[in-house]
Amino acid sequence: MILFIVVFCLAEAKTVQAAAENCTVCHKGITPQGRHAALPCLACHLRESATVGNPALADNRAVGCVACHSGHERIFEHAMVVRGGERRFVERSYARVDSGFWLKNCDSCHVQGCLDCHGEGHAIQKPSVEACQSCHKGYYTGWDYSGRAPREDNMRYQRGIEVEGETFLKMLPDVHYRAGMTCGACHSMDSLALGQRSSKQCRDCHTPSQRPVEHRIAAHLQRLECYACHSAWAPQEYGTFFLRFRDSALKEGFDLKPGPSPDYLRSAYLKSQDAPPLGLNAAGRVSPIRPQFIAYYTDIMSARNSGPENILLAAEWRAWFPHTIQRGTVTCEGCHDNPRRFLHEPGSGRIYQLEKDGMQLESFWLQDGQRVINGDFVSASRYLRLSSKSPAYTKAYVEKWKTFLNRVDNSSH
Amino acid sequence: MRFLAIIISLLAFLLSACTQKDQNRPGCGDCHTALEHVSAAHDDCVTCHGGDPRATDKKRAHASLRGPANPSAPGTWADACGRCHRYQLERVTSTIMQTNAGMIRNIQLTWEGEDGRAYTARGGKHFDANGKPVEYAAVEDLDNLSGELYRKFCSRCHIGSRNAESYASAHASGCAACHFPWNDTATYEGRDTTMKGRGGHSDSHAMTALPDTRVCSRCHNRSGRIAFSYQGLYDGNNGLVPTSGGEGGPVMASGARNLVHIAPDVHCAAGMECIDCHTSRDVMGDGFAYRNMYLQTEISCEDCHGSAGDVPRYREITRENDEALRESKNYRQPATSGMRMIQTAKGRSYSNVFYQAGAIWLQGKRSGKLYRSKVITGTPEHTIAGHGRLECHACHSRTSVQCYGCHTSYDKGKPGMDFIRGEETPGSFSESEDYRMLYPFPLALNQRGRISPVTPGCQTFVTVAEQDGSRSKFEYISKFRGKQQLRFAPFYSHNSGKKAVTCAECHGNPAFLGFGQHVVEGNSIKGTLICERSDSKPLDGFLTMDKGRVKAYSAITREHSRPLNGSEVKRALSVNLCLPCHSKAADPIYRKGLNLRALDDTLHRRLLSR
Repeated sequence: MILFIVVFCLAEAKTVQAAAENCTVCHKGITPQGRHAALPCLACHLRESATVGNPALADNRAVGCVACHSGHERIFEHAMVVRGGERRFVERSYARVDSGFWLKNCDSCHVQGCLDCHGEGHAIQKPSVEACQSCHKGYYTGWDYSGRAPREDNMRYQRGIEVEGETFLKMLPDVHYRAGMTCGACHSMDSLALGQRSSKQCRDCHTPSQRPVEHRIAAHLQRLECYACHSAWAPQEYGTFFLRFRDSALKEGFDLKPGPSPDYLRSAYLKSQDAPPLGLNAAGRVSPIRPQFIAYYTDIMSARNSGPENILLAAEWRAWFPHTIQRGTVTCEGCHDNPRRFLHEPGSGRIYQLEKDGMQLESFWLQDGQRVINGDFVSASRYLRLSSKSPAYTKAYVEKWKTFLNRVDNSSH
Repeated sequence: MRFLAIIISLLAFLLSACTQKDQNRPGCGDCHTALEHVSAAHDDCVTCHGGDPRATDKKRAHASLRGPANPSAPGTWADACGRCHRYQLERVTSTIMQTNAGMIRNIQLTWEGEDGRAYTARGGKHFDANGKPVEYAAVEDLDNLSGELYRKFCSRCHIGSRNAESYASAHASGCAACHFPWNDTATYEGRDTTMKGRGGHSDSHAMTALPDTRVCSRCHNRSGRIAFSYQGLYDGNNGLVPTSGGEGGPVMASGARNLVHIAPDVHCAAGMECIDCHTSRDVMGDGFAYRNMYLQTEISCEDCHGSAGDVPRYREITRENDEALRESKNYRQPATSGMRMIQTAKGRSYSNVFYQAGAIWLQGKRSGKLYRSKVITGTPEHTIAGHGRLECHACHSRTSVQCYGCHTSYDKGKPGMDFIRGEETPGSFSESEDYRMLYPFPLALNQRGRISPVTPGCQTFVTVAEQDGSRSKFEYISKFRGKQQLRFAPFYSHNSGKKAVTCAECHGNPAFLGFGQHVVEGNSIKGTLICERSDSKPLDGFLTMDKGRVKAYSAITREHSRPLNGSEVKRALSVNLCLPCHSKAADPIYRKGLNLRALDDTLHRRLLSR
């Protein structure tokens, strides 16, 4: 279909070119590259009399592009432009204390036109992984695909390799990234224009082999997303803090990474990158979940005048797909003997004493006072069921370890 | 009438102060009118401070002061404290906190700083652990990067050097470092108006014979951070949140670090302080100069709690010069003749732990509170075959602080304070870091051949900028035991819990064996947090398994120490074959070595085919 469109465009372009353009009389030295190289200027810029300066803007619904790429302008109705989820989160959290919060802190990442992703100016191309990652970075899924996790916010930790001026912890990249696949392989333009998350599900390409014992457990295949087990790690932020500075002189002593707004500094109580907790997604399947966000707010000036501080504005989790897929997984007890992973942390195993620090939650790994915004937590009774050592579990478990141990050398290297 | 009463009481107070002054502090008391007595036994100024009490002006009175403010500093301690406390002074001159021999040696070993000589902070003659004379060179003469690092960084926590600058970490030098506690701001806050509010002095002039946990915490809050972990504090990611009164919080420590609360050590939660376990010989030394801290320390968990096979040992006080009698003089309940004192791992008597009526009791040295020690000898959980090699804290550590990636830059173009020489010299250090965590923690073999938690010690990456700005080293990993490798060190975090790490947690999670955060893929175990100088080596671990073969990437410091080898890893993971059914440590199958062939016997085959 795409090929057909391109061929059609090129054919049509020839006709326009035949009429000869005057554009290059003034606009010298502009040579479009790539697929669009052969096109005349007006194929995109439309009319000599009323030229469309930037034919690829969301504001004009990419009027110059859609003549060929018809329907793709619908992407402007969806998440990357509208950012409804993020807006609604801010409305129910930080906007309660600062109506300008969205503009100050969240306005730097949204799609404004086709060229945000499709190359620069006259060198239009398919989006590279890097192009997607210019927004899908930090805590937002995308960076993790290349093996990057956010570092701690204190400047002491802001070190090491930088990409686009941002530092990160080096993690094991997704197996698809290592194989050279770009984001577009699973997130086609058509699917994005339709407002879908992706064009490919795991099982569109992969049929679970019956060889690994885990795949032979019916409940695993029926109730779990593949990525519940195969996401090797995931950035998790426990306690996101936005500190508001009405006077920049107050920032002294807060040696934190500067953000987009001079009015704010962002920090976190704890970040981790291990296998994320599990919950239920909107489809009711077991999926990784993470805080997004357990949001706190301190107005520094007010706090220094005995006002409230560390106000808990939201304690929300999201079910999501970390892009950190590996062939391997954690061991069985990574889930089946791990109540913390389902937010059922027993008091005896509690490390962080949030209440002593006025955090208004007993523990991040307890469901009380928290919710999954697009799914649910796994209930206590369900966790008990899944962690009980039934004969079937024991049998599979022993087989799993036997298979593994039979292939472990006694020697070291 | 009321006014008159106030005047009278004020006069009475002044008179009493004068009387006191006249009796004990002729001359000095004219200015230092209300300075606290050091203690009942230390009631005269000149014996310790020197000076001229008859002089009428400050300058002449102070001209011959020792110190001048702190007579217990190493330069004058022999003439001050040492005149009466010679035994203690001679021990302190060779204690590891004064010599810093271990710290310096470890830096030499890990920063390619070995030059065939052994150093201490000030150098000098001592006796080694075998009683043989030994002479140390002064670290001032260690003319390489490792010497610079000690002098400009590590020496801040040396009891021979005063630190009046670091918030919540300030301390005097010499005996006063521990016995005259400083407050967070290093300011005198006692009654003497002459001194009130002055910086660089102890909180009060009253001596503390028995230093509390806060005193130890002034120094033991870096590197292993044991004083923090013990109290349930963690300086994790330095995120400075949650805020406290609009400042970084919730608790602030030196170096603009914030501390959050974690579960404290079970002993701390019960009310015990550092000195309740640590003997004065642990801290002040026993007269011998040790090469490392772990050789000087004389206590172990087993002393009070027993080992798998042996109950704690005791010795009765039969002589009037028994150390325990002298040591316990300032306790609420001093030890008395006939008491059966529990023995340290080095076979010396504790002064506050004793056997009575079939139980072991520990007396809080400061509080007088009695704690009954639970003895674990012979209990099934502690007699698991194979666990004889485990240190208690391998299972009983709640957390173990791990700082991954210590990136140290040395800039020769900038001046840095040399705290040993007391002057600025060219060359300044700065540090950045990768990642910190508490749990899980890796295990490896320690210097005793026992399995112990280990923590990065250190993962140093060195960058050196020459005076002209050029880099002579960039993120350099130094050689240790002949090859470039990172290091882990055996470590007791001092964050113990009653509840041990469970069997399934430890055996089922390869992170405990040293694989770090990981995935298991076929018969490979891959790290997921990767060292940025490599493509596959874990940053937060030291082992990988590649197609069934275990590889070790880091060394474990200390003699005889090493990561677990392939057969040990396999043996530890093999326990998982038994654990789903035999889940309790008390299960009798764990009393003898595991027979994995039992899985193929009729009973097991029947059970497993259900």
